[in-house]
Amino acid sequence: MQPRCLLSLKSLSTLTLFLGVATVTPLGPLSQFSLLPERASAAEPSPIRKSLARIGNTSQDPNYRQPWLPGVTMRSSGTGWVVTKDRILTNAHVVSNARFLTLEKENDPKKYIATVEHIAHDCDLAILKVQDPTFFNGTIPLELGDIPEIESEVSVFGYPIGGERLSVTRGVVSRIDFRPYAHSGIDSHLTIQIDAAINPGNSGGPVLQKGKVVGVAFQGFSGDVAQNVGYMIPTPVIRRFLEDIKDGNYDRYMDLSMTPFNTLNPAMRKGLGLANDDKGVLISSVASAGVCSGYVKPGDVVLAIDGLPVASDGTVELEGERVQMAEVAERKFRGDSVRLTLLRARAKMDVTVPLSQAWPFAMQANQFDVQPSYVLFGGLLFQPLSRNLLNSVQFQNPRLTYFFEAFVPRELYMEHPEVVILSGILADPINTYLGEFKEGIVEEINGTAVRTLKDLADAFAKPAEFYVLRFIGNGRPLVLERSAVEAARERIRSRYGVQKEQFLDASIR
Amino acid sequence: MKLPFPIRPALSLLAIGSSWLAASSLAASETAIATATATATATARTTAPATSAASSILPGSNEPNGPGALLSQNLVRVTSTTQPYDFTRPWSKRAPLSRRALGAVLKGNRVLVTAECVANATYIELETPDGERKQPARVVCVDYEADLALLQPESDDFLKDQPGLAFATPHVGDSLAVLQLEANGNLLSSKGQMTTAEVVRYPIDDTSLLVGRLNVSLQVRETVLSLPLLKDGSLAGLMLRYDSQSGLLDFIPATVVEHFINDSIKMPYEGFPRMGCSFAVTRDPQLRRFLDLNGSKGGVLITQILKDGPAEKAGVQKGDVLLEIAGNPIDSDGNYRDTDYGRISLGHLVSTKHFEGQLVKIRVSRAGKSLNLEVPVAHRHSEKYLSEPYIIDRAPRYYVLGGLVLEELSRQYLKEFGGDWIHKAPLELVNIDRTQGEGPEEKRKRVVVLTRVLPSDLTVGYEDLRHILVTAINGKPLNSLDDIQGALENPVDGLHKIELLGDPSILFLDAKGVQAIGPDLQRSYGLPALSRLE
Repeated sequence: MQPRCLLSLKSLSTLTLFLGVATVTPLGPLSQFSLLPERASAAEPSPIRKSLARIGNTSQDPNYRQPWLPGVTMRSSGTGWVVTKDRILTNAHVVSNARFLTLEKENDPKKYIATVEHIAHDCDLAILKVQDPTFFNGTIPLELGDIPEIESEVSVFGYPIGGERLSVTRGVVSRIDFRPYAHSGIDSHLTIQIDAAINPGNSGGPVLQKGKVVGVAFQGFSGDVAQNVGYMIPTPVIRRFLEDIKDGNYDRYMDLSMTPFNTLNPAMRKGLGLANDDKGVLISSVASAGVCSGYVKPGDVVLAIDGLPVASDGTVELEGERVQMAEVAERKFRGDSVRLTLLRARAKMDVTVPLSQAWPFAMQANQFDVQPSYVLFGGLLFQPLSRNLLNSVQFQNPRLTYFFEAFVPRELYMEHPEVVILSGILADPINTYLGEFKEGIVEEINGTAVRTLKDLADAFAKPAEFYVLRFIGNGRPLVLERSAVEAARERIRSRYGVQKEQFLDASIR
Repeated sequence: MKLPFPIRPALSLLAIGSSWLAASSLAASETAIATATATATATARTTAPATSAASSILPGSNEPNGPGALLSQNLVRVTSTTQPYDFTRPWSKRAPLSRRALGAVLKGNRVLVTAECVANATYIELETPDGERKQPARVVCVDYEADLALLQPESDDFLKDQPGLAFATPHVGDSLAVLQLEANGNLLSSKGQMTTAEVVRYPIDDTSLLVGRLNVSLQVRETVLSLPLLKDGSLAGLMLRYDSQSGLLDFIPATVVEHFINDSIKMPYEGFPRMGCSFAVTRDPQLRRFLDLNGSKGGVLITQILKDGPAEKAGVQKGDVLLEIAGNPIDSDGNYRDTDYGRISLGHLVSTKHFEGQLVKIRVSRAGKSLNLEVPVAHRHSEKYLSEPYIIDRAPRYYVLGGLVLEELSRQYLKEFGGDWIHKAPLELVNIDRTQGEGPEEKRKRVVVLTRVLPSDLTVGYEDLRHILVTAINGKPLNSLDDIQGALENPVDGLHKIELLGDPSILFLDAKGVQAIGPDLQRSYGLPALSRLE
């Protein structure tokens, strides 16, 4: 289930992903380390070590400030491992926005070129293909284990900062919990905390116990927040990912898209018609765009999910562990369904909810491998509000923060599936008096509501003498004359190097 | 290391469980208006030498009969002890703190200071410049929006030797003297030149009035608010804020002070009137062509009309173009030509050149036709807002319902989150405050908020709730805290049903338990009363 409180952005701010950035620092002939004797070539690497790869990613993040321009490229590195006879598994964030991927193995000078076959941003996992099949000579797929015991010892394999070659660190399993995944920023899944040193570059590397993979190292805290806290993605999440992509597509996690509230309070229990048995959880909101809409109403009580009794704090017992009710849906796939036993107006009823879609609100998540959509008209740059945009541009208008944070809880998506904002102005005589509209949210154009960026683009495409835009909370209309826009068009294009004036299909790279 | 998004401070994780403390520790500013003047006073420049040629002890100020002595007779030191309410704990006040000001004596035994000095005052004392006599004083009239207060000593003879200052209108280019008193009673006068006059926001950020600006080097040795400014021996204004870095001093010009004084003479005091509409500038030629304003010059577009406000009563409509106010043409930036200050905002013309209840003649253009209308300008009182912009000298209202603390949303409450409240206070509440008046007419008078929970036997499971809007109790909509008592009279099945906008959307409390637990709550949390609704 997604964090749906108003302050969702802030809760994740301290988690960091362990991606190594290729800090190209030509130190010369290893000046400060030259006293250490060069070790003679070690014994042949163990089968586990042979099946690891150092992943080099040349990535290119999109340019949200000037979306017609390509973004800057940067290089980073992480770790991957052989998961089937000819595939590599790693973190999604290691290979996000990739333009060129290379793999390196221990004791093999060759660089192998790889491509992303499947990428799951909601659980931070990806599968890579390798162009040259000889990469897999001598490798063996690592076997997946189960959830390790708390306090049991694990080893982390990978290529973190501090050297070029494989590194192994050791620690114990500290805790098993449902935690946010920092990569997408809005997803939470099962996570295992370990105290082995995990550092940038470890991302995607396997965590092993008794020769089996029990997790993938992926995130932690920077040293000034917490020490010896590293997180790995446990095998139930990995297995679910591998199962999901079997049909050649990744369908993402299914989500009930409703918010539970505890029924611990005796008066609450009485008011809802619940017996004094610590069972049942109140549903306080149901997202209109989510899968449960039409099946569950706010004020309903969920007594059981798939026959598993739900406790008053919203947990169920699943394979011996108490987990949030949402976990039941998490383990399912698109096309499956869940059966909810509800108490509505004191009457018991069963509903079967088809899991037809994942969490529908991508704008609140960090997005990757997408190209920013935009419309440029009269030097005015219009973009849909998104986390990516907020991360790129420092807006001052608190209304934008409100629209972002309240987008789901207040169902702002009903009227604004896309929140179209005037995000920037390329200064030109045509827009010299329009500065005050910057950061405003477009409400309508020539009397027609603007629900998506496409609505705006369509309106601009229609001939009209004046284009009159209304912004939320601003009584002043923004007026553009078509003739003036036409006259300014080439001037703005050439002055600012605009290659393309609009891009609407954000899903195409 | 590549980070998925810019790392923010580690607040969220470390703040778990300390949510109660968070609000109070953020509440750095004592009152709404304390923040605005902090720049003037916080940075005491002890190093300031008796520097600039402009600063000098007035000749003869040590001599009883010199000109300085005459002048100092029209000054009194004002010490006020203020004790603001703690809006996060509405039943209690903050620790008292002391403020010092230099008051200007006016005719009729009155002393003028900025309102900030006496905000939430519990005790005000006047002291002669020589320190020989002291006397308690009371506030005769105060306008927190114009930041002005008029004080009166307990007995009339305290100021009997002081003739009182006359007013002088300051003009751009004038040389003005900022008066300060040394600890020994010597008068220090620092001269500077007035550089601008502009209509800008006052400390209560809902109000815009004329502000003068002076370039002056002041010696700041102690925190003194409200210094008088003189022009040729007459009062030209009161210091609003001073920035010791830039040496820029903002002051309330005599024009605004005189409006306040004249208004205060005829009690009840009304305040600075407004038209009750918003306007947009029309400089953009594309907008002018769209509005078909090419034939005329100037004018501003009326964009919003306050419900039941003066403009609406006068028949002004959204989309009208305002061309003239009281015979003064309005330009496309919303300025008129003032006899004293040149081109300044029409706000000065409406608010400071008129009084509540006056009919102001305006001319608007509507669909190409010119119309003459009369606007009965009026002040808009803080109480008329959905979220009051300020609550000073008044205790916050609250209702403790079985441990749920219910309050009414106000900007004063939001300001408990500190100077950066717009970004730090709960977004939903900030949004209501900042967008009030934008949407359709509000039915509710106030927004009732469950601000937090005092855990009790009745609130098990609710402990972590904060800042959720309360919409109804037992099916009765809450338009203010006043509706609670009535709504509680009809519990269903012995339970109070509380409807909220947020998570959860509904709560229940045991009705008998609510009654019974009152004394326990008062005892264990030290509440003087379970509610304050006056």
